[in-house]
Amino acid sequence: MQLDIRNLAKLYDKKRGLSPTSFAVAKGELIAIVGHNGAGKSTLLKMLANWILPDSGDVVIDGIDLRNRAAVVRKVGFIPEDPNLFDFFSVEYNLKLFAKLSRTPLMRVEEILDEFKLLPFRKSKVQALSKGLKQRVNIGRALLADPPVLLLDEPTSGLDFEMTREIYRLLNSMHDAGKTILFTSHRPEEIKNLATRIMVLHDGSVIFDGSPPEYFQSEIHEKLYA
Amino acid sequence: MMRNILLLAFNDLAIALKNKTILLVLFIPLFVFVSLNLLDKPNAETGKIKIGLIQDYAYPPEITRSVKAAEKFIGVTWVQNEEQGLHLLKEHKIDGVLTGNDKQPGSLALLVLKKESLHTIAIVQSFSALQKAAEGDRPSWISDIRSLHEGGIQRDTLPTWILMIVLLVGFIILPAQVAEEKEKKLLLALLQTPIHEVQWLIAKLILGMVLIITAILFLHLLSNFAPVHLFDYIALIVAGSFCFSAYGIFLGFLCRSQASARTLGVIFYLPHLLPSAMAEVSQKLTSVAPFLPSYQLYEPLQSILLEDGSMANMTFDWVYLLLLGSLMFYLSWLLMKKRWLM
Repeated sequence: MQLDIRNLAKLYDKKRGLSPTSFAVAKGELIAIVGHNGAGKSTLLKMLANWILPDSGDVVIDGIDLRNRAAVVRKVGFIPEDPNLFDFFSVEYNLKLFAKLSRTPLMRVEEILDEFKLLPFRKSKVQALSKGLKQRVNIGRALLADPPVLLLDEPTSGLDFEMTREIYRLLNSMHDAGKTILFTSHRPEEIKNLATRIMVLHDGSVIFDGSPPEYFQSEIHEKLYA
Repeated sequence: MMRNILLLAFNDLAIALKNKTILLVLFIPLFVFVSLNLLDKPNAETGKIKIGLIQDYAYPPEITRSVKAAEKFIGVTWVQNEEQGLHLLKEHKIDGVLTGNDKQPGSLALLVLKKESLHTIAIVQSFSALQKAAEGDRPSWISDIRSLHEGGIQRDTLPTWILMIVLLVGFIILPAQVAEEKEKKLLLALLQTPIHEVQWLIAKLILGMVLIITAILFLHLLSNFAPVHLFDYIALIVAGSFCFSAYGIFLGFLCRSQASARTLGVIFYLPHLLPSAMAEVSQKLTSVAPFLPSYQLYEPLQSILLEDGSMANMTFDWVYLLLLGSLMFYLSWLLMKKRWLM
């Protein structure tokens, strides 16, 4: 298994957060994590990305313990809902900075700029870009070190139809390239078109874990979007 | 229309409450009130001139007689020699030392910290009045005034300006920058790379120290002034900028947003600046100021810049600045590891 999660928990207060959760993820899976706001989806991803520290539990990614941050960040790329880039610098500067910090050859920046159709914007300041473009830069940055696991928190939130389709294309191409992907979403069509496995979180607990056909035939789907 | 304006105004007030700006509004008057209360109130005891007289020097009898007669207004401390007098002067225990004037035998020289100070004027006026009462229109007893701080007002105020620069970077610029990186999740983005937390902290320390040293260097270039003990001075600035940069980074970690960091920065900036800079005008402030970290930078600064002092006799200040900086660095590292308010 590429991801082994055991009793991972984080409670902000008595109700919110993630109750002790265990599951495993095989290489190449594309998992949609579904649930209402406050269900614990983002908390789960942020813990896997080392953004927040769990209260308890163990996570092993590609044989590396999550607590070994400096090593595990090479295995995981995290794309938050709101792009977190150095706004006052150019797209190229942002990518080069993170490439240097990740000790990735600068040639990789050119590949990312090309692959993510960012070449016309390489000198543009990030603050001048649309949210969709910023999200593309953000995904590109997460892929600089070519991590085998990608975590995306509502990657299409706030994007228009065209940009959403572009993000779907990128997710599919990354999946085809053998990446393991976990993403959170509220959009049924997104889950249906992309996911190979669906997990439903409710009040911090996993209440469903199965294939897309099982999910769309279940009562959970109907209740969730009733 | 009025309803909208009121709604917006209430919304703005709510934001000010949330980002703690309101604390700043309350803190400044409170700080001014406390500071003014710490300044010595004019009463018989504090209004007294404290003069040092040298035991071995033979003062003209009319001077000692007049000073004794005016004991309500002039307090006399007998010192063994000029050196001891200087020591007490530096510690603000006396306002001046009366000694013989080598250039004009028979008359006196007044030794003070600063020529252009209220204390000096008060001493000269008092002795002039005493002399007129005792002898009438004869040449003044005090024929020379020697100042410990040479170089005029520009040089005298240099330690205060330098302290302002150090505290400005430490308490205003750095906390805001750290909080901004936290607020925009940039720090978390950087922690998605294999860098170590300590590397990020050291980079921030270097930023603070470079900003401080650049500003101080520029100030010296403009004022065209260099201290006698240059190495000691550079080492002190490095220690001070390390201490207050680490302090500022720690303050930044205590805040979730830039606005909070700005407020907290000002709350720390004012007390650290004023008691140190104003300590000389007040006995009470002189006794309170040493408890502030800024004083451990300001005192050696004064000594090196104005009194040609060296670092050899400032061990406590050095150790204090380096230890405090190290403690703040460690606390910042702990908060960073815990992802505090990120």
